[in-house]
Amino acid sequence: MIGIAMIQASSILTPVLIASAIALLLGIVIVIVSRVFAVPVDTRLEDIKAILPGANCGACGFTGCEGYAQSMADGDTNTGKCPVGGAEVASELSRYLGVATPSFIPKVAHVHCQGTVDHTKKRYEYRGTMSCNAAQNLFSGPNSCTYGCMGYGDCAVACPYDAIYMANGIAHVDSSKCTACGICVKTCPKYLIEIVPKHSNAYSVKCKNKWPGAQTRKNCTIGCIGCQKCFKTCQYGAITMDGPLAIIDHDKCTHCGECELVCPTGAIVNGLMLGQDDKGQPRTTGTPRKAALKQEA
Amino acid sequence: MKELLIILFSAILVDNFVLSRFLGICPFLGVSKNVKTAMGMSAAVIVVMVIASALTWPVQNFILYPRNLGYLQTGVFIVIIASLVQIIETFLRKSIPALYRALGIYLPLITTNCAVLGVTILNVDSQYSFVESIMHAAGAGLGFMLALFLFSGVRTKVDRADVPKFMKGLPITLVSAGLVSISFFGFKGLIEKLFG
Repeated sequence: MIGIAMIQASSILTPVLIASAIALLLGIVIVIVSRVFAVPVDTRLEDIKAILPGANCGACGFTGCEGYAQSMADGDTNTGKCPVGGAEVASELSRYLGVATPSFIPKVAHVHCQGTVDHTKKRYEYRGTMSCNAAQNLFSGPNSCTYGCMGYGDCAVACPYDAIYMANGIAHVDSSKCTACGICVKTCPKYLIEIVPKHSNAYSVKCKNKWPGAQTRKNCTIGCIGCQKCFKTCQYGAITMDGPLAIIDHDKCTHCGECELVCPTGAIVNGLMLGQDDKGQPRTTGTPRKAALKQEA
Repeated sequence: MKELLIILFSAILVDNFVLSRFLGICPFLGVSKNVKTAMGMSAAVIVVMVIASALTWPVQNFILYPRNLGYLQTGVFIVIIASLVQIIETFLRKSIPALYRALGIYLPLITTNCAVLGVTILNVDSQYSFVESIMHAAGAGLGFMLALFLFSGVRTKVDRADVPKFMKGLPITLVSAGLVSISFFGFKGLIEKLFG
């Protein structure tokens, strides 16, 4: 009886000992590794993350809110990098970290195209997936101007703040809702959307067309033809020519409006776009100077 | 040498772990949306598979078999794989934090991933030598990476397509996975023809 019990004991004891030894050895290795590769957790990280808006859009230039929070916990004192949080978040972060509040220029997204269905034609009838990124793969889209907005609304779908809407075949950004998170910038396959300073009477060349003037004129009646009239008119050096395309430097622009007066096609407009009115047409904060002066005269 | 190549290529193509053996479906469906995360995950799986095979083969053949403890295989293998994944996770958290954050929950899921346990058990069942086991594990991991890479491309296209509402999400993904798996059946007989 005792003999059988002893045999049974050893046939159970051995595997138990072996399995336990393996487990114990691995446990020790895990403890050693977790000590050697320990990552110090900064308590301030959670507090900073709580102050940030949490949109994880990446407009600050880091990989989401965690990335920006980490850089500030590591000592970065620039608290004004979050356009979604704006001045409020910037001042709260500055208060928490004990650094100076940065001067904050609000920014907004702007679609640089006026090529509505009235101004452009269609080269072919597109019957594919109704997405800008898909249509772009087919000879750069069905519009006669291949630099222009195709109007299938990838940006509107991507915008987490519902700030973009389609009207007359192109995209418009409602500047009252836009937080300049930058997601639409990455979505547009034509790179038409840029983040610009939010001035209610900002002047911009709403065109990205780099074709020579004659070709542009044939394909879009409101595009920039590169005549350089605005370039020569601007006394502040805010306009530069990128080939046959005029570009306004918003830091130098004084909003005098002379460029808009001389532009023959109407590519230069002023003001920020707002939401739609009752008829679905886009509203703007700007008043076209040309029309205003004509009325006065 | 020829046998090693046969083992390697049959693990990658003919008996692909995900598409032919249907092991490791969970990370396959979960991580294949984004190509970068998929590549990171596959790299982690290859590393885990190879090291796990390297550790479990000696344990099986020098500790368990000689003492007729083959029945402990499942428990001991799981303990070894779990500890290994824990160590790799700790290592990644310190050395490559970006990859650690990108993989998130899927890293510990490699622990219960039947593909890793499957490789180690298949090594033993097929009675491979140590080097053959390593080759098999490497091939399994590479096959996993291939399947993940291919499927992430398929998923990008499926996302853009006009899917009926009741099929959106998991149903259409599973159907697509099944179709990709069928295409891999075309590789049957490849190894025999290639390597004679």
